[in-house]
Amino acid sequence: MDFNTAPEKFIVPIGPQHPALKEPGHFEFTVEGEIVTNATARLGFVHRGMEKGAEERTWIQDLYLMERVCGICSHVHALAFSLGAEKLAGVQAPPRAQAIREMVAELERIHSHLLWLGVAAHEGGFDTLFMYSWRDRETVMDLLETISGNRVNYSVNVLGGVKIDISDQQADEIRKGMDFLEERTKHYLKVVTEDETFLGRTRNIGVMDSELAVKLGAIGPTARASGLKRDVRYDAPYAGYGDFPVKVITNKKGDLEARFVVRIEELFESYRLVREILDKMPAGDLTVKVPRRIPEGEVISRVEAPRGELLYFMKSNGSDKPERIKVRTPSLCNWASVLVTAIGHNLADMPMILAGIDPCFSCNDRIVTVNRNVDSSQMDWEDLRRYGIEYYK
Amino acid sequence: MTIGSMFGDIFKSFFKKPVTEQYPFVKIKAPDNLRGKLIWDPEKCSGCQLCIKDCPSDAIELLVLDKVNKKFVMRYNIDRCTFCSQCVQSCRFGCLEMSDEMWELASVKKEPFEVYYGRDEDVEGFLEKAAKAETEAPC
Amino acid sequence: MNIQFPALVALLFFPGGLFLLASGLVFEYIDRKLVARFQNRIGPRWFQPLADVIKLLSKEEIFPAGVVKSLFVALPVVALAAALTAALYVPLFGFRAAFNFQGDLIVTLYLLSMMTLCIGLAGANTEDRFSLVGATRALTQLFSYEAPFLLALLGPAIALGTWNISEINAGAGSQTWFILAQPIGFVVALVGLMGKLELPPFDAPEAETEIVAGAFTEYSGRGFALFKIGRDVELVIGLTLVASFYLGGFTNPLDFLWKTLALLLVTAALQSLFARLRIDQTVGLWWRVGVILVLLQLVVIIFGKLLSPVILPLVQSIFGG
Repeated sequence: MDFNTAPEKFIVPIGPQHPALKEPGHFEFTVEGEIVTNATARLGFVHRGMEKGAEERTWIQDLYLMERVCGICSHVHALAFSLGAEKLAGVQAPPRAQAIREMVAELERIHSHLLWLGVAAHEGGFDTLFMYSWRDRETVMDLLETISGNRVNYSVNVLGGVKIDISDQQADEIRKGMDFLEERTKHYLKVVTEDETFLGRTRNIGVMDSELAVKLGAIGPTARASGLKRDVRYDAPYAGYGDFPVKVITNKKGDLEARFVVRIEELFESYRLVREILDKMPAGDLTVKVPRRIPEGEVISRVEAPRGELLYFMKSNGSDKPERIKVRTPSLCNWASVLVTAIGHNLADMPMILAGIDPCFSCNDRIVTVNRNVDSSQMDWEDLRRYGIEYYK
Repeated sequence: MTIGSMFGDIFKSFFKKPVTEQYPFVKIKAPDNLRGKLIWDPEKCSGCQLCIKDCPSDAIELLVLDKVNKKFVMRYNIDRCTFCSQCVQSCRFGCLEMSDEMWELASVKKEPFEVYYGRDEDVEGFLEKAAKAETEAPC
Repeated sequence: MNIQFPALVALLFFPGGLFLLASGLVFEYIDRKLVARFQNRIGPRWFQPLADVIKLLSKEEIFPAGVVKSLFVALPVVALAAALTAALYVPLFGFRAAFNFQGDLIVTLYLLSMMTLCIGLAGANTEDRFSLVGATRALTQLFSYEAPFLLALLGPAIALGTWNISEINAGAGSQTWFILAQPIGFVVALVGLMGKLELPPFDAPEAETEIVAGAFTEYSGRGFALFKIGRDVELVIGLTLVASFYLGGFTNPLDFLWKTLALLLVTAALQSLFARLRIDQTVGLWWRVGVILVLLQLVVIIFGKLLSPVILPLVQSIFGG
């Protein structure tokens, strides 16, 4: 950077290593004084090659690989995978299994939203709210450990159903946990909507009205906070959402405060759903038999992760290893909204706007762009695979 | 519009005990369902090896000493295991289960992480043979 | 107590100098422990600030490219030296100050502001963008809280009619404490102290999640340790000033301890209650609310002084002398 020129192209990097980001991603904000005039992003720092790895493993082993794409939304990845595989095999999991799957998905949504509340408060400098919301998150993590055996990566899905069952004693513990959390969430809703200093950081910051949200392709709570009614659990119900439907929560204002309010109100909806499922759990088997060789076909399965719509495209060629699995995670769609709404705000608002879409970088990195300045050629999928195998021999 | 809306919280916390557990000195008991170390019962095993085919990380191996009389030794690598319990699910005879031990997976050597399961005489016989093979092999 | 230590002893060993450095570390520990308890967690152990300083002093100091090396090394030393010199005029630990003269209130406040100026220079010295933004914010914040803070400290000075800190200290104990007589001034002085020390919610110049560490980003090892120690010393001196003016002055060390620790408790509570204010919100807050409040307080004081020959006999005759 040339130190003596006028500060027009003064670029502040919120770079791969920065205390504001929990995972690496590179953002460059061009500032004049403190006002941001341009923003660019570069992702791809945590590309792990999971889609390629999925082709070398059998369908059953892939279930556990796909679960580890993300730590916070691990259950919904496994859920999308098993729903797709079951559809290809032409079976449907029994109703008790679907209800348990939905309950664990809602518990995971609770955990993810409480985590996000703490992280977003920390980005705004409000460490007290961060400590308290993470203390309360321990309740739901202990509940998940009691029913599934692990705090993260619950592994309750198998192809054809679930592995675990909920006993009465566990159901009572879950109900007690839900009561405690509901009381604390009411307090947090009050703090977020009434605290003067916090409102100064969130009200009318990062405003995105519904037309802009449609143009930028926002999904998940980010879009719902701008008034769009987009929720896969409502548009295309899967797993038990036909029997236990969910109410879609929207907010018209579209600023950061609206995103906080939407996620906290989704927490209330999740508490209600978990209680309803526990009360009306259908009896029956837990699994149904799924053949080891999944028949040929292609399927798209969509589920609602805590961050938005998660899409899996799965193609099978009749053997016991999948032909192709493509994962499109929700955080990838929301980046455009950050880069567009950041313009015109202070540099101090950047971390909160980044945190407002609930970014999950490790989910993101699927595509790698290769810039070959020497020659450029078109490769189709077979050529690319062969090239990769030859390169690493 | 309130100023200092978390005041009730901080006031109460000043008089309560902190919620942090002081880990090495205080350890809470693991829940019953914890997916910890795998345990194998050799009596019921039929040697079908479905569990090994389904393991995502190659953590278990079955060493066949005598297929007809069903003498097997299972070598279990705890450091490779992801504790997913798919093997428990795949086994049709119920030989495998996950205990609630060994969730503190830190050690200074690699030996604690390779565990042999089997009937006592089988395991001893296998280990003797392995030791003899090492000393006899020309190097 | 009326013991006055010889000036060189006061500067180097007791009550300034090394003893002040040690007590700065103790005050930092108490502050961090209180904030942790308010957040329902345990907090560091008693030797944590000392361990931090020792670790930093033993680390390698890295000189980034493009700095003026002499300035880079000298600035932390100058900041700490200014803070330690300011301790000579303040009644630390209940003992009499080593020097006093009319107007040493202004000198002390300027020496305390040297710290912020050094931070601003240190940030502008490097080519790192985070440091530049941090330095700009530090200097902007200096321009915003300085005026109300000084005027709030002038309240007791005007009421007692002197610019000498030691005389204010002696005089503040002999009448009703100024916290009751000038409550608005007390609030502005305490919040101004938080602004001077860059404690949350006024820690925009050092916002961890936005600009890594502000002006301190490029500092490591010895320079960083000296800045940290300078911060702690400033904490002690600032608390002493506000406590001695508004909480009735000190005459012995026990008095000093409980008054400053009470102020530290209130400061820690204020630290954990609020989200971080943006720099433009800070400036707006100080220049709109802070200045008006303190000017109001000064007007009340001046009127009180002018009318006191008239009001006092009236009050005495009403309440029977």
